[in-house]
Amino acid sequence: MLDRHLRTDEIDLLLDGEEGFGVAPLRAHARSCVQCQMDLDRAREVVLLLDGLPDFAPSSAFADRVMSEVQVFEPWHAAALATVAKFVPETRPARVAAGVGAAAGAGLLTAASVWAVSRADIGLLLAQVGLERLQERVAAALSDVASAALGQSALDMLQSGGPAFAALAIGGFVAAVGISVVGLRAVATTSRSRRH
Amino acid sequence: MPNPDELATLPDADVVRLAQQGRELAFRELVRRYERPVFSLVFRMVRDRELAEDLSQDAFIKVLNHIDRYSPEFKFSSWLFKIANNVAIDHLRRRRIDTISMDGSPNASSASEIEASTIELGSDQESALDEMEAKELGSSIERAIGGLRPEYRSCIMLRHVEGRSYEEIAATLDLPLGTVKTYIHRARHELRKALEHTRA
Repeated sequence: MLDRHLRTDEIDLLLDGEEGFGVAPLRAHARSCVQCQMDLDRAREVVLLLDGLPDFAPSSAFADRVMSEVQVFEPWHAAALATVAKFVPETRPARVAAGVGAAAGAGLLTAASVWAVSRADIGLLLAQVGLERLQERVAAALSDVASAALGQSALDMLQSGGPAFAALAIGGFVAAVGISVVGLRAVATTSRSRRH
Repeated sequence: MPNPDELATLPDADVVRLAQQGRELAFRELVRRYERPVFSLVFRMVRDRELAEDLSQDAFIKVLNHIDRYSPEFKFSSWLFKIANNVAIDHLRRRRIDTISMDGSPNASSASEIEASTIELGSDQESALDEMEAKELGSSIERAIGGLRPEYRSCIMLRHVEGRSYEEIAATLDLPLGTVKTYIHRARHELRKALEHTRA
């Protein structure tokens, strides 16, 4: 039995309902000591007041105000799962049928892919044919443009003259353009200096 | 996706998981569950209804906009209370600086200079809202709580209003367990003295 009054921390132990070693003598003392029992009752009164404190409510628009500032973001995997879930039938037989259908479709697709990979040479041949056709079409289109710009006779001459003649013609064209540009600049400079 | 009634029956961890999947109803459910406790904690900390709403809103926005960072090993409510308490304490610290600056220039060297540089707030600023707050926080226990240090106040609120264990409070407020016990012990002692003083 204690031969002194309880300290405030010891009263707190009793308030919190602690059951550890050393609490029983404190409880026994409180029962037998009028002063300590009174202190304990006062402390318990405060705790009861605290325990009875009400919650306060914010204004009714609080949740909407919060939500207007919250960015609701759906991660891609959740969105993908939700999309898939939309296509899953609700009844069990329909789900089984859909599962069988999906499995059959996946099987067919896999078989087709395996066949295509095993026959890669056919794919290569088809791609080459397609490329050649594309080249022919581009060449024909360029030829049409050239004949419309230079005339068919000039085009025939270029084609019959061979690569040396074509290079000469292109060089002459470039030189003519160059001389024209230089001439025009000289004329413009002369007229400007006369004005000043 | 569960409907609002079903959501209300789910534990926090499940609602948070749905929120992490981008379900708006789950966000709303979390706000519905905790708007009153969070607002009550912040209101008792700052003792101003309008400000408490703004600070509670900040706390919810911080938490809900970073819901993907929530770690399920902790209680969601502990995380939310931690943010709300930090928001309130930060505000009180800022306000204390403002209050000091209103109490006269720190460079004033005489009583007359301090008086000249002190900003006085008019008493006509009390509004109907203030009266309502005075009524809400006007009981002797609420006034006694208002006189506690903010750190004591948050501990005592979490312990007695939210019914949290000492360990949970320590985790929520990032304080050692011994400190939490000391704060609560001192807070109760101060409350007891304040209430006895009121009665006397």
